[in-house]
This record gives sequence, C-alpha cells and structure tokens, in this order.
Amino acid sequence: HPHNLKCVTHNLRRMFCAWDFFSKGRHGQTDFCYTTNELSPPVCFKTKEKRVEIPVPQRSSIVSITTNSISGTATKEYEIHKKEISFVPHTPHILSLTPDFSTSTLNLKWNDNGSVFPYGLDAFWQIQILRKEATEKVAQITYYSKLTHEDTILSWNWTSDMPLECTSHYVKIRCYINITQFVGPKDWSDWSPVEMIPGKDTEPHGSGVYPQDTVVAVGSDVTICCIHEEGQQIQRMTYGPETYPMIHLSSRSSAIRVLNASASDASGTNVVCILSEYEMDGTVLFVGYAPDTPQDLTCETANFLEIKCTWKPGRPSGLYGKRGTKYSLFERLSGKNVLCKVNEMNRDRICSFPVLADQKTYDFILNISNPIGQVQSSLLVDLTQRVHPKTPEKLTVSGNSSTSVHLHWFINGSFAEIRLLCQIEIVSGHSEQKMYNVTMWGREFSTYTAQLNMLHPYTKYQFRVRCLAADHFWKWSDWSKTEEHTTSEA
Amino acid sequence: SPTDSHIQYERVGADVTMKCGSMDWDAAVTWTANGTDIDESHLNGSYLILKNVDLTQSGQYSCYEGSSWHLKYQTYLRVGIPPKEPVLMCRSNNYPKGFYCSWHLPTPTYIPNSFNISVIHGTREMVCEKDAFPRNRCHIRYLQLFSTVKYKVTLTVTNALGKNSTTLTFDEFAIVKPDPPESVVAKPVPSNPRRLEVSWKNPSSWPDPDSFPLKFFLRYRPLILDQWQHVELSDGTSHTITDAYAGKEYIIQVAAKDNDIGTWSDWSVAVHATPWTEEPMYLTTEAQLTETTSASTSSFMPPPTTKICDKGAVVGS
Amino acid sequence: MAAADSPSAALRRRDLCSRGIRLAGKMRSDVIDLLDAYVERQGLDASASVAVFEGVPVAAAEHWDEQTGTQRLLENLSAYRAFRSLLAQMLEEQREQLGEADAPLGQALAAVLLQVSAFTYHLEELLQLVSPGPPSEEGPGPPLPSHLSLFERKLRGLGVLRELAQWAVRSARDLRQLNKSSPGSSSAPSPAESP
Repeated sequence: HPHNLKCVTHNLRRMFCAWDFFSKGRHGQTDFCYTTNELSPPVCFKTKEKRVEIPVPQRSSIVSITTNSISGTATKEYEIHKKEISFVPHTPHILSLTPDFSTSTLNLKWNDNGSVFPYGLDAFWQIQILRKEATEKVAQITYYSKLTHEDTILSWNWTSDMPLECTSHYVKIRCYINITQFVGPKDWSDWSPVEMIPGKDTEPHGSGVYPQDTVVAVGSDVTICCIHEEGQQIQRMTYGPETYPMIHLSSRSSAIRVLNASASDASGTNVVCILSEYEMDGTVLFVGYAPDTPQDLTCETANFLEIKCTWKPGRPSGLYGKRGTKYSLFERLSGKNVLCKVNEMNRDRICSFPVLADQKTYDFILNISNPIGQVQSSLLVDLTQRVHPKTPEKLTVSGNSSTSVHLHWFINGSFAEIRLLCQIEIVSGHSEQKMYNVTMWGREFSTYTAQLNMLHPYTKYQFRVRCLAADHFWKWSDWSKTEEHTTSEA
Repeated sequence: SPTDSHIQYERVGADVTMKCGSMDWDAAVTWTANGTDIDESHLNGSYLILKNVDLTQSGQYSCYEGSSWHLKYQTYLRVGIPPKEPVLMCRSNNYPKGFYCSWHLPTPTYIPNSFNISVIHGTREMVCEKDAFPRNRCHIRYLQLFSTVKYKVTLTVTNALGKNSTTLTFDEFAIVKPDPPESVVAKPVPSNPRRLEVSWKNPSSWPDPDSFPLKFFLRYRPLILDQWQHVELSDGTSHTITDAYAGKEYIIQVAAKDNDIGTWSDWSVAVHATPWTEEPMYLTTEAQLTETTSASTSSFMPPPTTKICDKGAVVGS
Repeated sequence: MAAADSPSAALRRRDLCSRGIRLAGKMRSDVIDLLDAYVERQGLDASASVAVFEGVPVAAAEHWDEQTGTQRLLENLSAYRAFRSLLAQMLEEQREQLGEADAPLGQALAAVLLQVSAFTYHLEELLQLVSPGPPSEEGPGPPLPSHLSLFERKLRGLGVLRELAQWAVRSARDLRQLNKSSPGSSSAPSPAESP
C-alpha cells in the first residue's frame, strides 16, 4: 500500500507529493488522480515515480494512488488540506563567491528568486562559513532581505579573521520566507551546494606565510598562518622573539593567533615559521597607529610666493618608508592639491603650497593618511593676515650728517599688496636703547629706506631692523644683523 | 647452557629477581655470590631477590640444584647508571686543516658505554676519524673553508641501561682556538734595569702562520703585585717590556689568536725573569775607591768585598 | 703569476697586498658591527641558518689552498663587484622600507658599501699587475628578485652580510697567499704591513 504521503510547495502554486510503499519486490506503474477543488473532475495520469508535481489546491485536494505490483493492486485515497502542505523555499544557489585576498574578504552573490513570490515578503538567509573540508563551522550569519516579486541579485561580504590563503573556505546558504498568509508549516530551504575558495594549502607547491607584509592597527588580533609542503612539519612559529602555540588548519597549514598586537619596530615584526634547521619562511607584520589628528595647524607666508603650513603630528604612527604617513594639502577654492614631502623624524611637520595669482583667501584641507587610517584638518586663511616676513638683509647705514642717518635694508619677498611696519632699534654708545617704528608700502623684492634724525653728533650707534605686516599683526620677522655707524662731529 | 657467560645489567636502586634456570619455584636450590652462599632471606622459593641493588652488588651469581650441587644457572650482574648528557667540545687548533671534537661523561656509569659521533655540514655528513689516543676524541678535515653554513656535531652515548646525546652547532670560525705559544723566553736587557726581552714561537700545531698569521697577547706582572699588565701584539714573536720595576722578579705569559677569527688560546706556560740590576759596590780603601770609580764608568767590574747600599753612595750610572 | 715581476712591480704588488689585507681587516670588523646592528634592527635571529640566495657570492671554497694567485684575485673581484650592487640594493631597500626611520643603519650600510667599492677598486689595481687586467664588468650585477617577500629580503640581507664577512677573511688570506708567493717576499710581513 502507498503510505506516508507528504506534499511540499516551493512556490505556493505547485507542490510535490511523495509517498512510500509497503510492498516487497518490484512494483509496476502507479495510477495517480487528484482534484484541485470540489467542482472540477479528478485529473489522472500514470507514473513510475513515487513523487508527482501537482497544483496547490485552494483549500484541499482529493488524491488517490493506485499501485500495481505482482502481489496485486492497491488503492489509497487521501484528502490533503492546505494547512498540511509544507512550504519550503527552493534551495538557493550561490551565483558567485569571490575572494579579495588583500582584505581577506569573501563576496557572496546569489539570486533571491523573488519573482516566484508576491511582493514584499520577508526573506531570511542563513549563510554558513566553514573550514577544514567544510566540517568546521566558522561563522553563521542571518541576512535579511525583502522580496520584490522580481529576481534580485543579493550581495554580501564577510571578512575572515585569517588570510584566505591560509586554508580553504566553504560557504553555503539557505533561505526562509516568512509567508504569514500561508497556513501550512513553513521551513528553511535545503542548504545550497557548497562553494569553496581554495586555500594555498591545496596548491601542489603552495607554501608561504600569510598575510604577507601587511599593516595592522595596534591592539588588533591577528592570525598568521604557515603553509608548507606535504610531509613537512613545522617545528615552531615565532612572532617577534616569542614562540606561539600553533592552531592546526590542515595537513599543510598551521596558524598562530596574536592578540592585542603591540606596536612593531620600524622594520616590522617578523613572524617566522621554522620547518627545519635550514628551512624557514616568514612574513613581516607592521603594527602601527592611524595618523593622529594634527595639532596647531597654521599657515603663513614669508614672501607671498609660497605658503608654509606647519602642524604638530601628535603620536607617531610607527609606520615608515612606503607604509609611512602621506600628507597632502588641498585648497578648496582653487581645487589645487599638493603632496607634501615630510621628514618623519622632524618634530614639526611642514608643507608648502604656492601662492596663487589673485587669491588672497585659502581654504585648506590637510589630508593625512597611512595604511591604517586617515584624518583631516582644515584651515581658512586670509594670507594678508598671515605674513611672517623674512629677516631683513643687507642693512646699511649712510649719511655724513652729525644728527641724522639713512638706513637701507632688503626684504626678500613680494609685498606689493600690503603695508609693512618696520621697527628700528638704536643702541648708542652709552647703551641707551630706542625703538623707532616706520610704516611703508611693501614692494616687490625691494630695498627699503628710513631716515633717522635727532641723533647725537660724533656718537657711535648700533642699528638693527625687523618688519611685519602693518595692517594685520601676525609675526615679526627676525632681527636683521646689527650695523654700526658713528655720526660725524658737529 | 647455564655456564654461558651471561651479563645482566641493572640500574642502581633497582629490584632484581633471578630464576634458577629451568628449576621450579619450589625446587631446593643454593645461590652463591662470587662463590659465597647467599642467605636464605634473599630467596623466594628458588628465586633470588635482590632489593635496591647498589654498585657493590655487582658480581657473579650462581644457582646449584639442592642435592646434586649441579650448576643450573650463572650470570654476571653489573649494576650501573644510564649515561647522562655527555660533555662535548669541538675546537680547531690547526686551522685551516681541520678541527677535533672531544667528549667525556659528567658522571661515571660503571658499565661499558659506546660513543657515536655524527658531523654534518649543511647537508653533507663528514667523517670524524677517531684518534688512537685519547679514545674520546676524533678529528675532522675541512673540505671547505670560509663557509657560512654551520657545523652540527651530535654525540650519542649508549650503554645497556640507556642512551643520551649532545648536539653542538657552530660556525667554522667560532671554534678556532690555537694552542698556546711555545718556547717562551724572558731575559733581562743588560744595562737596562727596566727592560725585559720576551720571545716565543708560534704553536707547532699551527700549520701555516704565513697565510694564517697569529697575533699575541702578552701579560706580565711583578710577583709582588696581583694586577697584570697587558699588551696586544699584532705580529712578530717578541716584545721588549720597557716599564718593568727595577729589580723585581716578573711572571710573564703569552696567548695567541688567529689574526682575523676565533678566540684566544690558553695562556702559555709562565716564565719568570728579573730585569738587569747593577752589581752592588763593596767597602774598599780610598785608593781602590778612586780606581774603582774610574773602572765603572768605562766597563762594569763586580768589586770583591763588602757591599755599600746606603743613600748618597756614589754609584756608576 | 702570469707576468714576470719586475722589482718595482713586486714591491708595488706587495704594497697593494699589505694595504688590501688591512682594508679587508677593517671591512670585516665594520661588516661584523653592521651585521649585529642589522640583525637587531630587522628583528632577526642571529643564530638562524640562512639558505643561500641566488646572486649572493658564497665565500666557501674547496681546495682553497690550491688556487693560483690570479684565480684568487678574479674570484675576489667578481664577488666584491656583486657585493657592491647587492649592498646598493639593500640601501635602496632600506630607504624604501624605512624612509628616515633608521638613519644609523642606513649610514652604516653606506659606509660598508664605500669600503666594498674601495676594495673592488683595489683588486682591480692588483689585477693590473698580475694578469692582463681585470675583466670588464658584466652588467649591473645580480638584480633584486622582485618576487621576494619582505621577510625573504631581510634574510637575503642577512645572507649578504654574512657572506661578506666571510669574504673579508678569505680576501685577507688570499692576499697573504699572494704576498707569500710573490718573489722577494720573506715570510715576515713587509714594513708596509706593520700598523
């Protein structure tokens, strides 16, 4: 007799009904009849299978199964109520599983088969990541999506706690669709076929230590694996000076787990996999900090040709050379971007930006980045308010009068757009010191002159001068060299 | 047969049970140790039981059938210790010909031991030719010079009670240690109360001093002081000490080292010498005194009688 | 020796040999210091056995004592030319990887490179005397294998410095052999040789 009839639908429209037989020995064809509703006559057909696909009834369906075998004919009739029909979504299929070895990330893409279902159903996807020949579950994630009555390609990323090279990763997925109006039992779909990303330990001559020469943040937990040839044995794995306990991944791959990694030296921390006395492999791990937010960012110009921005870098990143911190100065108004050449060993950082024609205001963004992170700092500067002239040069004193002299000095820079205030310090023989301020229009790379009167005859004087922008005090230049002069006799 | 020479090794402190050959447990037997009957208290039936054996219980044990005194079993018991980790040392005192390795056990085992040594250079196994004497030494000929590949020497010692081994890994240059310099001679320098002339020879075991020159380290001190003075000499096999304390006996030693590699030799045999001293002037008549003074300025003659050593005395320069 | 030695040539050669021996001695001690600093700064294990990297001249020699003087000089010259480009690569690598972070190591590396260059020039001078002159240099020397990982480059650097330290000893021995076999040389070192 046929028994144990069960019906499952994957798409709410058609269902698969399957049954078992009690009889021994071979059984011949089966006559299968069903009705979809009370009014319509039964539909009958013959089948050799123990499973048929028939429409889902609105309420119930009368099914009769007649089996023919050498021991005779047996007929069994069932009434299948809608609430007895199980709903199990189709087994999903992974469209693509793409590894990004540089970030140890897997990208999974699959089709949600939404076109099969009405709009707006909630779908739950369970994604399992496995290792060790798909026997060890590493992660199980439930991903939620909404079906849109169209087939939608869903995409999802997973970042492994170890480099993907270390060992093969397997992914499978199954689905559950929450159809509230469906009265029958609902269940998870079957698991999709497993997709695999082979590790290097499956390659015939694959070997090495991974990740290769990578950068991580201080405090990170890092898994580093060593892959070797079949038959070889790892004697020990060291991280810096320490030997670490090994985690078996496969017959050709073992790993160590470094927790809360501390900052490495400039040349990085070596991870060494010792296979024998003469055979070792390794990698270098650079453990550093993201750039610190720059402190005291200021920009000024000494000559209206070049703007110099300086800042205090804060905590060193611990990363150098090509992994070191990169600096660039972006000026928003002009859209000009300048890469800065910075010496990591200097206490202060300096970056130069050209003064642009006809631009007085500069809206700077200092971008600081390294492989671990990035920070920005911005500064709006009115250049005329940030003039820090260079030291006045070639100070000379002339004049043969007994009570007045002429001072001449040169300032390197183009100050045509501002007024300069220069301060002249006069020290006479009996150490009497006086200050004179003189204001003048700036000029292009020019020599400036001032006349000093009411001096004492036949007296030895020492002069020096410094200048700053007259209209917006910012910084004095340094004092010029001192120049001596003796007034003539009266 | 029972009389076959059968040696039984047991560890110190072990409990030993000996059966009387094929005799039943309850058979009447007599056990002797080195010919002396063993007290019945040591017997369990026909079995001989020796508890917590020590070295003194080594010897010949025999078992005789009770009535017929027929020898049923005989063995030689040797009580000993498994070998501890052997002490191994390798050194090249005849660079660049080769190097030798020598070994000894830190503590005796009281039973025979066999030693096996393997010398591996990179992936190449090298022959270590055993010296006739001393027996715990063998030497290896360098097949390659200036190699950065390390040598790995493993010595395994085995005896009936156990096995142990020691491994040394070293660079070619690291074990170069010449023998001390030979024929060290120290002599005073006539008319120089503060000088001593020291000379020596390269150790005869050093094969090619021209291509593999040695440098030397001289140390010397007056016997009355503990503090050595040192001088390093990059070539040559003689040196003149110029700051010796006048009249003080000196002890002098020399060490050698390859000019470029390896370590210093042990110190040579110590030699003693005292810098040259003027012969003391003896009490003489006025005439003789004037005659002697003129003699000392021209050539040094030792005067025959009493010694004058007070301050202010006129001494030849 | 290939060319018959005139007395002045023999004197010149002995002088070059003696100065070369001293140069090699100084180079060896500087390389040893650099090696210690390199091991420490690169976080390497001083006792680690390093496989031979392609392009790094191996100092190990079999039947060393049977070599002719010209053979010795040619082998030395070929080695030091290779070391010159290997050290230049290491210096470039150092700048790329560390920037200004480890200036002392970079300076020590540059100083040894200078000595290797000087010694190479010295060998070329010597070869002028004993053979038809030094062979011309074939190309820029062993290229830095780009596929090497950072750790392998560190090991390669260690291998380079270790072999260079051995070569410095071998060169001193070679030059002494050359000195020994040059006519008119007594076994005692010539005055030019005393420090």
